[in-house]
Parts: sequence; structure tokens; C-alpha cells
Amino acid sequence: MNLPRSAVIVGGNRTPFVKAGTAYASASNQDLLTAALDGLAARFGLSGVKLDEVAGGAVLKHSRDFNLTREAVLGSALDPNTPAVDLQQACDTGLETVIYIHNKISLGQADVGIGAGVDSASDAPITVTEGLRKALLKANRAKNLQQRLAALAAIRPHHLAPVAPQVVEPRTGLSMGEHQAATTARWGITRSDQDDLALASHHNLAKAWDAGFFDDLVTGYLRVSRDTVLRPDTSMEKLASLKPVFGGPNGTMTAGNSTALTDGASSVLLAEQGWAAAHGLPALARIVDAQVAAVDHVAGDDLLLGPTHAAARLLERQGMSLADFDFYELHEAFASTVLATMAAWESVAYCRDELGLSKPLGIIDRDKLNVYGSSLAAGHPFAATGGRIVASLAKLLHERGSGSRGLVSICAAGGQGVVAILEAV
Amino acid sequence: MQTRELASMPALGPLFAKALVPSFSHGPARVPDYAVRVAGVRQSMERLADYDRVCGFTVRDEVSPTWLHVLSFPLHVQLLSGSESSIRLAGVVHVSNSMRLHRPVRASEVLDVAVRVANLRPHKRGAMLDLVGEISVDGVLVWDGVSTYLAPGAHTPGEPEVLDRPAFEPQPTIAQWKLPADLGRQYRRVSGDPNPIHTNLLAARAFGFARPIIHGMWTHARVLSALDGRLPEIYTASVSFAKPILLPATVGAWWQQTDTGWQAAVTTKDGSKPFLSVQVS
Repeated sequence: MNLPRSAVIVGGNRTPFVKAGTAYASASNQDLLTAALDGLAARFGLSGVKLDEVAGGAVLKHSRDFNLTREAVLGSALDPNTPAVDLQQACDTGLETVIYIHNKISLGQADVGIGAGVDSASDAPITVTEGLRKALLKANRAKNLQQRLAALAAIRPHHLAPVAPQVVEPRTGLSMGEHQAATTARWGITRSDQDDLALASHHNLAKAWDAGFFDDLVTGYLRVSRDTVLRPDTSMEKLASLKPVFGGPNGTMTAGNSTALTDGASSVLLAEQGWAAAHGLPALARIVDAQVAAVDHVAGDDLLLGPTHAAARLLERQGMSLADFDFYELHEAFASTVLATMAAWESVAYCRDELGLSKPLGIIDRDKLNVYGSSLAAGHPFAATGGRIVASLAKLLHERGSGSRGLVSICAAGGQGVVAILEAV
Repeated sequence: MQTRELASMPALGPLFAKALVPSFSHGPARVPDYAVRVAGVRQSMERLADYDRVCGFTVRDEVSPTWLHVLSFPLHVQLLSGSESSIRLAGVVHVSNSMRLHRPVRASEVLDVAVRVANLRPHKRGAMLDLVGEISVDGVLVWDGVSTYLAPGAHTPGEPEVLDRPAFEPQPTIAQWKLPADLGRQYRRVSGDPNPIHTNLLAARAFGFARPIIHGMWTHARVLSALDGRLPEIYTASVSFAKPILLPATVGAWWQQTDTGWQAAVTTKDGSKPFLSVQVS
């Protein structure tokens, strides 16, 4: 793709990710997003600087947060004249905000901007029952006291119970874990392969923290300085001792090889290459191309294999093969999601029948996969995962050297998936 | 067949009370030999939206065939509660249903609704009968539906017909639905069907169920709403009710495309036994 202008990833900043209900329990999405933006502003001297746009989003979002990102910008160190937009594509949100800013810069509609995402499972919006909601709305529409009282009289004690957001697919009634359990069984993904991947994730992330890799990617927040989902000392024995949480008593998916509910926020600074140079900012990597796709899980497709389709289209358009990468960042929604994705790319039948390819996409070198850990170890604050991956991968590619390439793949609710190719500047 | 015009849709509460009173008539079953018809039925948008929510449909201008069945249902009760009928709606079992949407029907359309009894026939457990509904707009048929009921213990002359239930082939379930304990109450609100076996434990037990059961037509509607956006403009939906679902419940469901349309089933959670199966063509 010959873009008119070159947008580069300057760097990123995120909060440490923590288990839901712990250190960030009283922080809202807006608080967390503001913290991520402030850390980014501090790192790149953006205090009081007017950016062209900040794109952000959250998956679990209060209706009061209709302008979440704009409100976070107004509370941040950035110039208050910086506009903002909220985007949402389930767990693809974070990567989509980066793509959005990248595209605007490429088209000359912006010189500099931030792609960001946040989620707080601790501060999830609790709603009221349909009965109470309808009665209150009706009372609100009432033209006189009598009508209002009549509307309110319809409220029953059981209407007063709070309703927490459901993490189920609305059209199938199955949770994401239950969907993935079906995929895991269909693809014959074993428990030990899943635990292996989880173990590698923890060890790799711990190694990266110990090596100081995150020193310029993470800013401490609320007395937390490291990701707290991370278990550096976990072992195969410990992982093997966990009971299945999805797929019934004989299931293979446990709390150890599934992501934990997590709170956190991330942000990525992007700029037009010349603009970055003129402002003395680094250029780590550029986004070569990106692609989104969806599968029809309502008709029985594997819910989280959307990225397999997106990758097939993206590689074909770029004339690349799956082997052309130095690093692969496959978001670990569940260990078995990563394993099923790779199995699908290796499968002659799947690549032919589902992806319309004459030969399979091929095998990924496991030594290049999630080399500094992924969501199983870091945690997965839904919309913040894209920014975590993009910033880390851009740095990794920059360290590897000019021209090195990485593939990002993130699955999402609704059968969706987004993939992107990054290349070191 | 003669048609008796009613000025408006009968209210279901009082009618149903009559339909609950057993008929003590002996001898062969009797059913009305006339059709009942209500012209100029306006659809309530508010009630339709409520129905759509309870059954899982997107609120649209075009209505579902199951909604049109709901609109015709008071006439079922009307026919099976009067003195001309020895069969009481409260005691019958809904065995199967087949509806055809002849063209998309909009919520704004004013409908003429007619229902008659047909095909009273013997069954080894009693008698079977069809309630045939027809809805037209400006004299043109837009929907028809045949509800087949079994009246246990009723007698009618002839050889009982052998019913061939469609064979059930278990399939992996695609969806899992949680049916709350108050679903019968919710569906009563939107359908107007006051049969207490759907809402009241004692009534359910009186009819031989351990707990209240969900209306079969809710489950049928839920299957059609799962196929929301995938159904053609004109189609026939046929359902066969195998077993009632006791509330609350968690059930499985699957659907798949066939050469002629869709095949679907609502099953036990593990998919092994069917509650109902649906064909759309």
C-alpha cells in the first residue's frame, strides 16, 4: 500500500495492569485513561501540546461516559483544545484506535495523535432491571403527577435488584469462554499445550520486566508499578492443578490458561514521520497495513477465529507469507485461542474451505511468538490490550533493527478480529 | 362455512375462565361449525415492542408470523370455550403449528383476523383438531396458520391416525438460553394467554407438570428471533412440540441451513433430547 504520508509509532505508555477488584477498584475508566495519557505526555513532552486527535475507547462503558476520551483529555496534561473520539470494537478497540489515528495521519488529516484504550472490570456499569428502567422512563415522560404516580406504581420489589453487565454473546447466550471451549474441543487443543503456552507467557513477561523492557512503556499508578496478574513463579505443576472453568468437568480451560478480568489503560503516540523528526521524537515502527474481519458464530463458526480471516486477506494484499515476520503477537484471550488460530493457519482444509486459499498459511516459529508474554500473564483490560501490544511490539522491532516485521492478531466478541503488520522504521 | 363477525377481539381473561370449566358433555366431541372473524384489528406498537423484547426479536416495522398467531389467539379461546364446543382450550395440548407469511406484514397495517376449527379426527389418546387462522389486509390473505391441538379423552368416530414425529438427530448446540422463572409471566403479558399452567405452580401441578412450563409459542418465536435477519421475506414456519420446558430452565439450541430453508431445534442443555423442532421453508 503506497500511502501518501508515513505515519510512525513514536512510543507508548500504559498503566500497570491489575486484577479486577484490587488496586484500581475505585478508579473509573476515565481515571485510568487520564493516567495513561498523562504518562504518555510526560514521556514525550506533550504537556500543554495541542494534538490533532486522541482516539480512545472502552468495552465496558457507562452511558455517562459518552465522551470518555474527550473528558480524559480535558483532565490530562494535554492541551485542552485537543479533540477526541470514542471508538469501540470489543477487544479490538485498542488496535482500532491506533489504526484510526494512523489512517488520519497517512491521509494528511492529522500530524500527530494518540490511540488509546481502557477497561475497568471493577468499575463496570451496573444497570437497573428492565421493569424499573421502563417504569422510570415512563414516569419521566408523564405529563402530570397522576400519570407519574401511575408509572411509578408499576415498580415491584424485584425490579430493584441491580443488573451487572453480562459477558455473553447476545445471539447465542454463551459466554466467550463457553464458545472458546467448543472451539478448543473442535480443534483438539490439549490441556498441556494450553498450560505450556500460559507458562511461557508468564515467564516471558517476567523476563521482560526484569530486563527493564517496560521501563519506558509503563508508568506506575495508584502505588502499583508492575502488572499484578503476572505470576513469575508459576509452574506446570501449579497450572496442572487448576480445575476446568469452561467446557464442563472434562474441559481443558482453566483460570490459568484463560485471561483474568483486569483493570488498566494504554496509549500509543503516532505522528507523521517528518513531524516526529522536527519535534525531536523517535520513530520506532510504522503500520504497514491492517485488516478487520468477522465470522458468523451465530451459524456455528468459531467465535474467536475472526483473525484467521483477517490475516489471510492482509497477507494476500501485501504479497507476504506467514513466515515473513520476526515477531508474532497473538492476543491470548485464552491459550487455546492462540493455539486454535495457529492450528487453523496450518490446516489445509480450513485454509481451503474457510479462507479460500490454495495452500495453508503455514507454521509459526514458536520462538517468535509473544516473546515478552501476552494477555495470560499481563492481564486483559479489554480495550487496553491493543495499545499494550502495539507499543511493546514497536519497541521490540526497533531494537531488532530497521525493516524487521511483526504481526499483531487480536480476536474480539461478536466473531470479529483485527490484524496489523508493523515494521521497524 | 358460516362466519360470525365479532365487533372486537374478545378479552382473554373472562373467556379463559370459561375455557377452564370442563365440558361435561358425553358422547362424540363437538366443535363449532362456524368461523369467527374480527375485522379492522389495529396492532399496538407498544405491545409489539414488548413482545419483540420478550421473544428476542429486533423491533421492526415488519412483524413476525408468531406475532400474528398471538393476535389470532383470542379467537382460538373464543371457539373452544362456548357451549358449541365440548373441547376446552385449557385442557388441550398444542402438538404442532404451521404458519405461512404470504408477504411481509407491517405493524401499521389493519388486519382482518378469522379462525375456524377443522379436521376433528381421532387419536389414540383422544381427538385431534386444527384451528385454522387467516389474516388478510384489504381482502388479500397475508398470513395463515394451523395450530394442531390434541384433546385428551375426547372421542370422535374413525380410525386414529398414526402420527409420524420427525426423527430427531442430535446436533452440537450453537446457543444456550437461560429461561428465567418469570418468563411465563413475561410472555403472558405480551401474548395475553392467561393459562395458569405457565405462571402458577399449583395450576401446573394440576395439569401434571412439576413446575410451570413456558408457552410453546414463546420457544417457537425465540427460534425465529435467533434467525433474525436470515429468514426470507416469505416463508412457512412449522414447529413440532416434543416436550414442554419446565421453568426455570437452561436449554440448548441449534439451527442449520437446508436446501429449502432452515432446520432448528431447542433441546436439553446437552443437546441430546428435543423440546421442539422447527422447519422454515
